[in-house]
Amino acid sequence: MKELAVVGRSVARKDAVEKVTGSALFGDDYRHPGQLYGRFYRSPLPHALIRNVDVSKALKVPGVRGVVLGSDVPYYFGPFIKDQTFLALEKVRYVGEPIVGVAAASLEAAEEAVQCIKVDFEPLPPVLDVLAAAQPGAPLVHENWSKYEITGLARPIANTNICDLFTLRKGDIETGWREADVIVENDFYVPMIQHATIETHVATAQVDTNGQITVWSPTQSPFYLRQELAYALGLPMSNIRIICTRVGGGFGSKHEMKAEALAVSLALKVKGRPVCVRFNRQEEFSGSVVRGPAYIRVKTGAKRDGTLVAQHVVIHWDTGAYSTYGPRVNYNAGFSAAGPYSIPNIKIDGYCVCTNKPIGSAYRGFGVPEISFATESLLDELAGELNMDPLELRLRNALVEGSIAATGERLFSVGVKPALEAVAKEIGWQGPVAGAKRRGNSLQSVPATQQGSKGEEGYPVMGGKVRGRGVACFCKLTGTPSQSSVVIRLNEDGTFTILQSGIEMGQGIETVIPQIVAEELGISLEKIKLSPVDTAYSPYEKSTTSSRCTMHVGNAALAAVKELKEQLCILAAGAWGMDVASIQIVDGKITASGDLTKSIAIDRLAESGILKNKPPVVGHGSYATADIWDSPDPETRQSSRSTVYWMYGAQAAEVEVDLDTGQVEVLKIVAAHDVGRAINPDACRQQVEGAVMMGLGNAMMEEMILQQGVVVNNNLTDFKVPTAMDCDFPVQVFLVETMHPEGPFGAKGIGEPGLCPTAPAIGNAVYAALGKHVRDLPITGEKVLKIIGKL
Amino acid sequence: MTEKTITLTVNGEPFTLNVPVNRTLLEVIREDLGMTGTKEGCGDGNCGACTVLLDGQPVNSCLVLAVEAEGKEVITVEGLAGEDCLHPLQQAFIDEGAVQCGFCTPGMLLAAKGLLDNNPSPTDFEIRQAIAGNLCRCTGYTRIVKAIKKAASLLAQQ
Repeated sequence: MKELAVVGRSVARKDAVEKVTGSALFGDDYRHPGQLYGRFYRSPLPHALIRNVDVSKALKVPGVRGVVLGSDVPYYFGPFIKDQTFLALEKVRYVGEPIVGVAAASLEAAEEAVQCIKVDFEPLPPVLDVLAAAQPGAPLVHENWSKYEITGLARPIANTNICDLFTLRKGDIETGWREADVIVENDFYVPMIQHATIETHVATAQVDTNGQITVWSPTQSPFYLRQELAYALGLPMSNIRIICTRVGGGFGSKHEMKAEALAVSLALKVKGRPVCVRFNRQEEFSGSVVRGPAYIRVKTGAKRDGTLVAQHVVIHWDTGAYSTYGPRVNYNAGFSAAGPYSIPNIKIDGYCVCTNKPIGSAYRGFGVPEISFATESLLDELAGELNMDPLELRLRNALVEGSIAATGERLFSVGVKPALEAVAKEIGWQGPVAGAKRRGNSLQSVPATQQGSKGEEGYPVMGGKVRGRGVACFCKLTGTPSQSSVVIRLNEDGTFTILQSGIEMGQGIETVIPQIVAEELGISLEKIKLSPVDTAYSPYEKSTTSSRCTMHVGNAALAAVKELKEQLCILAAGAWGMDVASIQIVDGKITASGDLTKSIAIDRLAESGILKNKPPVVGHGSYATADIWDSPDPETRQSSRSTVYWMYGAQAAEVEVDLDTGQVEVLKIVAAHDVGRAINPDACRQQVEGAVMMGLGNAMMEEMILQQGVVVNNNLTDFKVPTAMDCDFPVQVFLVETMHPEGPFGAKGIGEPGLCPTAPAIGNAVYAALGKHVRDLPITGEKVLKIIGKL
Repeated sequence: MTEKTITLTVNGEPFTLNVPVNRTLLEVIREDLGMTGTKEGCGDGNCGACTVLLDGQPVNSCLVLAVEAEGKEVITVEGLAGEDCLHPLQQAFIDEGAVQCGFCTPGMLLAAKGLLDNNPSPTDFEIRQAIAGNLCRCTGYTRIVKAIKKAASLLAQQ
């Protein structure tokens, strides 16, 4: 293979200088002449009918310029089921749901006016328990699914709270159970957590006298936002302009329409005036989006030799008041619920259930971290039953090149086994401790002299600390089909400007795409700049989600370079008076066959003179995966190609558990991820390092606590996310390169994967230390003391 | 709300302005002075995104009333770089890959400067303690710690 000059190198991020100097403009950093500030009266009740709204006092507050009610903006939206309106109409479905908006000349005036609003409610029984909510006869959050427009991939069940049913069937599960020598089964729970981006949701909207709507937003997905607004308002897309600001953390939370709908609601009332709506931290917790809790039951069967023969997974997703991206979480996790293993008999049932809670939606990994916690934890329990090394059990069943997936498709670019081997080697995996059933990979315990009597599982029950090591792996698909487009302009001075709409939110897309273009054109990176994203001129992009941009935007960029090169060949042929067929571009030079005197470096196009007075060079490129996609059967999800690429990875953790306090300390995490090809290895490692620490938070501390639908820990002290003190342990990252044949230079994606195996790796390390699992996250000291019988 | 006239220095430039007595230093910096590099993440002192130096000490500017800054010197992220070169902390953050989304970065830089101005060669643990009140959701912190350490050695060489 040809040596690459720019791809595969860890060049510095292109967006770093503006971010360290404070000149990067985020969602709340724009100020417009005549700007107003919007605040909202939000529901104090989880489920209630709205009887009356009195805004008379609010209108009299000095500085108030407009008040908007639900009936002023009765527009429905939602990616799969259009079940949500801009503001609550007849009833409220969660605490924090916006009911009335106020636009005022100052934030203080808007807040004062909101305090003056009176709403009469008729409380309804709140639906707060997801398992009860899924039963027939439960009070309904949404009375009638068929009343809503269903535009996407969702299968609601009539007269229930289930907004989506996912099923996957492979082989015959009953045959699987008959063939199994050992069957294990358990329930797992993951709590409600939040992305907790440091920048909260924010948007500014302006409606001009021609009906043109402009929105400034730190959105992850401007074209999706434009589509939602256009559809809801019944306007042509060309009437809506989304100007993207810098994004202060996304992780899925800024994918769907949130503050934008509220800002537009007010902007429609105060025509001409820009209105800025920024969520405060309390609103962020209750009124934006969360990762919904999930109950997951897993049953797995294996032969005595460890060969997996059957897996049944039942998931109840608590997706909160509106369906939003719940069905997609259900879908993506459902495809991963059999893990990265060859299992002949698989049955997956996913129920996405509405409750009167904050809205569950996209969160880095789209359900795969949750499902992986459950299935990978149970796998270690199975290893215990088989008296087998959990690593060996995984390696025995891991998918390899040519394996058949749960979908029935034949797989390629499969890096899970090399990832498992890499983490095992680095962490010094020693295999199971002989004679200690379920002790698995427990490394060491306190000296025997300090031990008390041994419990059933063989762990010390008095004093001291014990250590354990755990491993976990995963597979995740990327959303398919999807589309990307890129435009590359050659400027008169020989520099290039890329127009693309993958959103930079820290993951490095603004660095990776120029690397791909520089490599393909054979020019230096310094000659390339990226334009800010603005739907008024930037080309279409489906979304910045699903770890998809490096691959999809990258491929569109390669197509744009191809077109650009064709135009350059025509210009060179004209200048040299030669046939275009004899011109080629190799290694960054335009040359002519048979005439060595003819050569122009792409890096020196301006000096060459071939551009002068000629048609400007503009390369367009598009990429879409609809053609390669075989729409999975809705009942069985069997498909010859369910996704354009699968991502794989493995992590190993070492922990120390204090048997007196129950506190778990993570000592080390090793991560290995199959990225296809690392376009920028250091950027890939950064993604994994950050995701691992996010996974640490998921595993050890994060939980939104609700009482009667009210988030009680709605601040960043009581909702604990990892601080620098919590992250004081080594994380080592290995990149596995499997060279995906359809990826740009072989690349796949790495935005979400780093989070997927972290919680189960930590959980399995605790299991190795204690012989017992904490099956509900987070793994707190209290829960550890309970499982070892000390509390 | 009662107003009061205050005089303060921000990044070396003196300002005199009338502010309501309940206005925070963060609001004055962002809204009145138009320096949006300092961020608001929570408004209640939990995230550290609004960290600035007040007479050399890192503070959450959302918890400081503007009137408390009377006669004092404020340094924000806009005041870090020199005429034609970045501050060693800024350069180290870039070189070590300590920046992702960038929203916590201004506060992180100021917390780090507050540390290094008082303790020019901190240990890793001291660095982690100094930024324990600054939340970052992207990086996992370790590269930030490395960047601060690197900046300390760059500053020592100067």
